Amino acid sequence: MSRGRLFFVVVLAGVIAAVLWRVLAPSSAHTVVVYVSHDQVFSEPILNDFQRDTGILIKAVYDTEETKSAGVMNRLIAEKANPQADVYWANEPIRAEVLRLRGVARSYRSPSAAGIPAQFRNADGYWTGFSARARILIVHRGLRDKPRSIQAYTDPRFNGRAVIANPLFGTTTAHIAALFNAWGDDRVEVFLDAMRRNGVHISSSNGESADQVARGAFDFALVDSDDVYSRERQGQPVEGIYPDQEGGGPGCFIVPNAVLLIKDGPHPAAGKKLIDYLLSRETERKLAFSDAAQIPLHPGVETPADVRRLETLNVMQVDYAAVAARMQAFQPWLRDWVGH
Amino acid sequence: MRRLTLLLVVVTLVIVGLLPLAVMLGKSVIVDGRLTFAVYEKLFSNSGQYWVPIRHSLMLAALTAGGATLTGVPLGLLLGKTDLPMRRILAILFSIPLLLPPYILAVCWFNLLASDGILAPIIPERTLELLSHRLFDLPGCLWVLVSAFMPLVMILTLACLHAVNPRLEEAGRLIARWPAVLWRVTLPAILPGILFAAILVFLLALGEVGVPMYLRYPVLPVETLTQFAAFYDFGAAAAAASPLLAIVLAVLALEHLLLRDQTYRLRPTTPGRRMLSIRLRGWRVPAMLVVGLLATAIVVLPLLALIVSSLSPFAYGDAWLRAADALGRSLVFAGVGATLLTAVGFLCGYLIHNRALRIWRAVDTLTLLLFTLPGTVIGIGLVALWNRSGSAFLYASSALVIFAYIAQYTALTSRISTATLANVPPSLEEAAQMIGAPWFARLAYVVVPAAFPGVLAAWFTAFIFCFRDLGASMVVYPAGQDTLPVRIFTLMANGAPSLIAALCVLLVSVTLIAMAILGLLFQGWALRR
Repeated sequence: MSRGRLFFVVVLAGVIAAVLWRVLAPSSAHTVVVYVSHDQVFSEPILNDFQRDTGILIKAVYDTEETKSAGVMNRLIAEKANPQADVYWANEPIRAEVLRLRGVARSYRSPSAAGIPAQFRNADGYWTGFSARARILIVHRGLRDKPRSIQAYTDPRFNGRAVIANPLFGTTTAHIAALFNAWGDDRVEVFLDAMRRNGVHISSSNGESADQVARGAFDFALVDSDDVYSRERQGQPVEGIYPDQEGGGPGCFIVPNAVLLIKDGPHPAAGKKLIDYLLSRETERKLAFSDAAQIPLHPGVETPADVRRLETLNVMQVDYAAVAARMQAFQPWLRDWVGH
Repeated sequence: MRRLTLLLVVVTLVIVGLLPLAVMLGKSVIVDGRLTFAVYEKLFSNSGQYWVPIRHSLMLAALTAGGATLTGVPLGLLLGKTDLPMRRILAILFSIPLLLPPYILAVCWFNLLASDGILAPIIPERTLELLSHRLFDLPGCLWVLVSAFMPLVMILTLACLHAVNPRLEEAGRLIARWPAVLWRVTLPAILPGILFAAILVFLLALGEVGVPMYLRYPVLPVETLTQFAAFYDFGAAAAAASPLLAIVLAVLALEHLLLRDQTYRLRPTTPGRRMLSIRLRGWRVPAMLVVGLLATAIVVLPLLALIVSSLSPFAYGDAWLRAADALGRSLVFAGVGATLLTAVGFLCGYLIHNRALRIWRAVDTLTLLLFTLPGTVIGIGLVALWNRSGSAFLYASSALVIFAYIAQYTALTSRISTATLANVPPSLEEAAQMIGAPWFARLAYVVVPAAFPGVLAAWFTAFIFCFRDLGASMVVYPAGQDTLPVRIFTLMANGAPSLIAALCVLLVSVTLIAMAILGLLFQGWALRR
């Protein structure tokens, strides 16, 4: 075969592969498209169960906190004029609230949401929370005098021994924003400056913070509860401490998942079915028993022994809409604080 | 016909690369239907805050290019020009980091330097702590990026050595020893190729976002991502990426100044003569030791970390179950992408080499700029441009992934093709033209066959970069059709370390197997000829 012919064979092979790939692509009928910011290891089994139980084909786009959810959120905003997704499964309600403010969400009051406390739902039905994580301290098991409050970040005993994820991103932003709302700007700025002076290390994500504590590089970090549980279940030498539970402390910041229907999505009926499924007590039970170990928001859902129930916690009172509204305002200050 | 085809290629590049970029830049200057530069004013008003990432980016890119060149060129000479034992195996081994997304290498090094990592028993605790600390700074970023991109310099050095006329070296050997010949004959002959490799590494390091973000070293692409992820501000993100345009133009000007178009003037080897080889004699053992140590430091240790992490009873079974579909898609996407990139890149290279259109320099600049931009910017630009009701059939398909590949990686295949075409005597095409062969026939039966090794090298390079692509794929892949690097990345959040390590080993193994099969097929074809 001459070189010229071989070149054309290669081109032809490329074209055939392209045609096959198009032909073999799954049918779009009876489908729901879901964009997911929750960790794939935890969300994928739930979505697979939905597909098995309903026969509706799931097409998912996953993202992760490690990428700061830059993919999915920006995609949803960029696709606003011609939405491709039906449902967004956010790993915290702030993103859902941002999408509501940008007109990407559509109101839907799911019957499965009955029983979920009003604090974790948008009053107009634009998003609904379910299966929460808590913001807790991951502490190395070898540490003798363990921190009990987020104020430990300013304690000289932990000078240079504490780590926190970059507060410009993810649940750490939401947590700081909630503190701004609860304490007021001055007090939070004093607190964060004191943290800085106490040599806090800033990591790129909660997962990285948890890994660094597990490896003994730091004594503790403020992370999401699933970061702690997954490492505990992998046998790593860490434990989780729910902060500020005693003495009138601000309480533990609860971060529920949030699900919303995309405005003008291509499969609204299937989208609503998926939302009903995600908000069900059974899904909350599954997420509680998974390695995510999430706290159900429906009362009375069965949980494993090591997962705290909502009613046993001193929970920080948060207006998620107010938090989302404040976030954009103080992020330039936070960026200065982080140092870039 | 020639002009029309080349114009078509330029239009393709404009559609898949320039227009998405223009949409992004448009968003930075048009807000609510009004022309405004407020985004730029706001961004540059705090110059202290903004210049730090720019300075860091330039420093990291320059040091990475320097480090990769100073390591890759001697290594290429040792592996390509001497009788060092096992040099083919070593060349393959040194190429492995190029197959992995650099972010994975950073994770490997983080695991290696952990207090319970595999280096812990052999390195004193304080040293380990110091190394671990330095990893999260410029030295760590530099180490990871040099080990990730050095293979590119090594491979291009190996390729360039084949283009050195052995007669020149033979003449040099009559009056001088090998070190002097290497210094005065061989290296000057391959200098354009080395500079080209250094520029590629510089641009790759300049656009890298995963490693600096993981190792917390603020650079310009991280600033762009911050605008996306923290503020959801497309205009500000595009504005944050705008200095990259200035940097690319400066790099191109520097290249023009230094090389004066010599990049493409490697002299063809005299037919029938083989490359001269250096006999190391007594230096074989020390050279082998040095190369072995280098291989251990930058390839074996991270690989070992991956393999050790993956040694769990169910890791590979689980990895296969979770990612077999993504692996299949990655292979198909990379195959289709590499084929189209080779075709587009070859025609771009032809355009640039022959200066067939007046805009040849603009085409070169555009491809290099797109190569440097963070994948997220290209991805969001593609989404903003193509997600319309009229083009929904394209947007909802995997075509956008291929568009992203073409936008981001045409510079690679175009530059390789340009360098290859410089070795094809123009008289060949002219002779075919004189006997009345139409342009397509000349291209298909004369130019492409004569430049075939370069075409193949372009395809292999494109395949590797498409197969490991993360930044743009992450933003544009259609729902339910993610690729293997994207799957690995999304599973990394709270996924079992053994599963992630097994997936990475799978990624490397499949790429190596695919390349080996294609290499054997090509070798068989070449032997039959």
